Amino acid sequence: MHINYWHELTRNNFGKLGLAMLCLVLFIAIFAPFLARYDPGEPSHTILMPPSFDHWLGTNDIGQDIWSRLLCGAKNSLLVALGVGVFTTLLSTVIGAAAALVGGLCDRILMRLIDALIVIPAFIVIILVAAYVLPNVWTLIFLISILTWQGGARLVRAQTLSLKERMSVYAARTFGANKRYIVIRHIIPNLSPILFAVFIHSATRGVFMEAGLAFLGIADISTVSWGLMMHHALRFYYLDVWKWWLIPTGLALSVTIMALVFIGHAFETAMDPRLRVMEQEDWQ
Amino acid sequence: MIELRELEVRYGKRRVLHNINLTLKRGESLSIVGESGGGKTTLGLSIIGLVEGSVRGEILFDGTNLVALAEKEWKEIRWNRIAMVFQNVENALNPLYTVLDQVSEPIVAHKLGGRNEATRRAGELLSMVNLPTGRFFAYPHQLSGGEKQRVLIAMALANDPDLIILDEPTTALDALTRVEIINLMHTVCNERKLTILLLTHDFYAASTLSDRMAVLYAGRIVEFGSTPALLSNPRHPYTRGLLRCYPSMTTTKDLQGIKGRMEFVDVGCPFYPRCTQAIEKCRQGAPRLEEYDGRLIACHRGGIIPLLELRDLRKSFDSLNAVESIDLTLYEGETLALVGESGSGKTTTAKLIMGIFDATEGRIYLEGKQILGRDKSFYQRVQMIFQNPMEALGHRFSVREAVREPLDIQKLGNREQRESIVRHILEEVELPSSETFMNKYPHQLSQGEAQRVSIARALVLNPKLLIADEPTSALDASTQAKVVKLLLNLQEKRGIGMFFITHNLALARKISDRVAVMLRGNIVEEGPSNEIISNPLHPYTKDLLKAAPTLSSNVPLMPKQTSKKNDGFGCPYANRCDKALEVCFNEKPQLIIFGSHRIACMNLL
Repeated sequence: MHINYWHELTRNNFGKLGLAMLCLVLFIAIFAPFLARYDPGEPSHTILMPPSFDHWLGTNDIGQDIWSRLLCGAKNSLLVALGVGVFTTLLSTVIGAAAALVGGLCDRILMRLIDALIVIPAFIVIILVAAYVLPNVWTLIFLISILTWQGGARLVRAQTLSLKERMSVYAARTFGANKRYIVIRHIIPNLSPILFAVFIHSATRGVFMEAGLAFLGIADISTVSWGLMMHHALRFYYLDVWKWWLIPTGLALSVTIMALVFIGHAFETAMDPRLRVMEQEDWQ
Repeated sequence: MIELRELEVRYGKRRVLHNINLTLKRGESLSIVGESGGGKTTLGLSIIGLVEGSVRGEILFDGTNLVALAEKEWKEIRWNRIAMVFQNVENALNPLYTVLDQVSEPIVAHKLGGRNEATRRAGELLSMVNLPTGRFFAYPHQLSGGEKQRVLIAMALANDPDLIILDEPTTALDALTRVEIINLMHTVCNERKLTILLLTHDFYAASTLSDRMAVLYAGRIVEFGSTPALLSNPRHPYTRGLLRCYPSMTTTKDLQGIKGRMEFVDVGCPFYPRCTQAIEKCRQGAPRLEEYDGRLIACHRGGIIPLLELRDLRKSFDSLNAVESIDLTLYEGETLALVGESGSGKTTTAKLIMGIFDATEGRIYLEGKQILGRDKSFYQRVQMIFQNPMEALGHRFSVREAVREPLDIQKLGNREQRESIVRHILEEVELPSSETFMNKYPHQLSQGEAQRVSIARALVLNPKLLIADEPTSALDASTQAKVVKLLLNLQEKRGIGMFFITHNLALARKISDRVAVMLRGNIVEEGPSNEIISNPLHPYTKDLLKAAPTLSSNVPLMPKQTSKKNDGFGCPYANRCDKALEVCFNEKPQLIIFGSHRIACMNLL
């Protein structure tokens, strides 16, 4: 099975939709400083304003422009997605592949470690930690990654074990290849579909967890985060503000998460030959 | 009776015979075999003193040196004591005389009798060679090839010689006539106690008419020994090559040629350019004819070398004994088929050789040296073709990358060199070497193409030993045929020793020189392919043969498995064997040598 990621994503409708949504969020995150009309952190005297020409989505309780904050929140979410995705994937790969390739005692110790870590609820641990240190975005990325790599590591280990026994790897060994060559030329390229899946999966979870924690109030107050915005919006539920404060924020978060989920889903279809719809090009 | 000492014959500058030493006692028969142009006829002609080139050395005939003989003295010997049946049946007879006259001519010429006496004797001789009386007065053009051959033999016998030189007496004859002539020669020679020197490329004539055999190549004797031994177990690469070219009902392997053509080289072993096991030494000096195991071989490497030797090889996975004590030898340029049902340990054996598994016990020798660790140079000499080509190629590598991978790993040559090697090898396995093809990925190839690509990458390092693990089991019959032919051609060209693993005895028979039958990790029978096929001894081999594909509509009855417990102490076939004895369940039979077979069966002990 030879996978062309771009091709696989774009030939699936979910994939196309997810990609389009992600592009939109990415665009917003990158160009937020130009699109925003006010400094998102700048308070003003006009508080809790309904939408108007000056403030498209009104203002919050300390007079910050909600539209500007919404745009800037994209950056925070994507940063967390990328950070958690990369860091978790890296941890999963190193630990999973090491367990599979070294084997023996090393494998057993790492696997027991995973078993132990997998029962620890990441969310609660982070809440506990946050009770002592209010995490900024980098601490949060680190915390989420360090507590959620186990599933990915298991996947990588299982895949590496099966790759190690592939005929093509045996063949390479019979040409005199050493371990380094096999890892670089055979194992890692063949792991990449799994790694991509792990990446998407942990990125999604990262965004979700960050938003959730912020929603519970566990976030550095100075960050512009969608979760935090919702946390604040909810305190004024008795006013009408939720219509332009809570709903757009929730929608933005949903779009981001859905974008990642759709990409992951499209990709999963591509990975599993049973779900794969054969196209003309495959036979050429 | 006749002894050749350091005989050397030159035609101008060209040396046609080198240093020939032969002794032939009275009543013995010796055949000289070899390709045409190898100097056989020259040897015959120099003994009878008719060679046109310059002769050096000695030909002692009952103590007289024939080389030094003046033409006058030759008359005493030629035709009276040494006669020759010439090769060219069509031209050896004078078209103007009747056969009776021709046969009586040497008698008259040597003044052994008057004309009437000569005619009477000629008549006797012609009757003796079974020429019908009615044909006595025929002219040569009225005779068939077989009849002319008879006349020539009669002529040679006319003066009752002691030594008769037969130059290709059977070559141009059809099968039945050939047998008649051979029978005739048999009777005549036994009656008259003739000494025969047979010059031929026909192994059938040589095997029936001679006790000893010398193989002549480019004017040198390369192997010399008793005829049956040479035929059943040729030890010089040239002898084996000749036998592989010779179609007979005894051999089962497909015909193979010898690469290249005969050249008369001045230095080095004459067979060097065509030999597949040649080393540097072979280029530098000609080997002497030396004795190895009761025969003479002229080869720097002592004849065909054992390429791979497995000694007492064992492998167990936890409690399962996948391979129990395997002893096998594979010679250079030979195919050894390892036959057995699935799960018998064939692939494990292959993986043990390749070092994919580590042997629990036992030793592996490659070209006589024990393999202790496997480095890159080991994998240059030993390569493996895997059962499923698609899997072995891996889906991420294009044809170019896949075939280049061994070169990349071994770091051989630069980029351009690797590219040209890849193209060359693809052509050798009969695949296109176009850019389009080289950029294809395995899933875009057919099964047959994929297997060829995997053969190409196994060959790209130019190995001496190829382990082929069911290379054709995933292919359809026509693709299989092509792949098998390809492998045999490569063997002919490069002298690759092939360890061919298959469950198909019918296939093994066509490609292998020897067959080893494996059952539950044990070799139960081993021997030359033709012997295993025509005369299987082990009950398991017999059942395998019964189950081998034929084109008849009969489905063979296979033995039923008995419920009796066989816990691995006994013979591995005990509970399927219909001749199983009580002892078969308790004691494992050892491999013993039985004729040309090695077999492990209690019934033979």
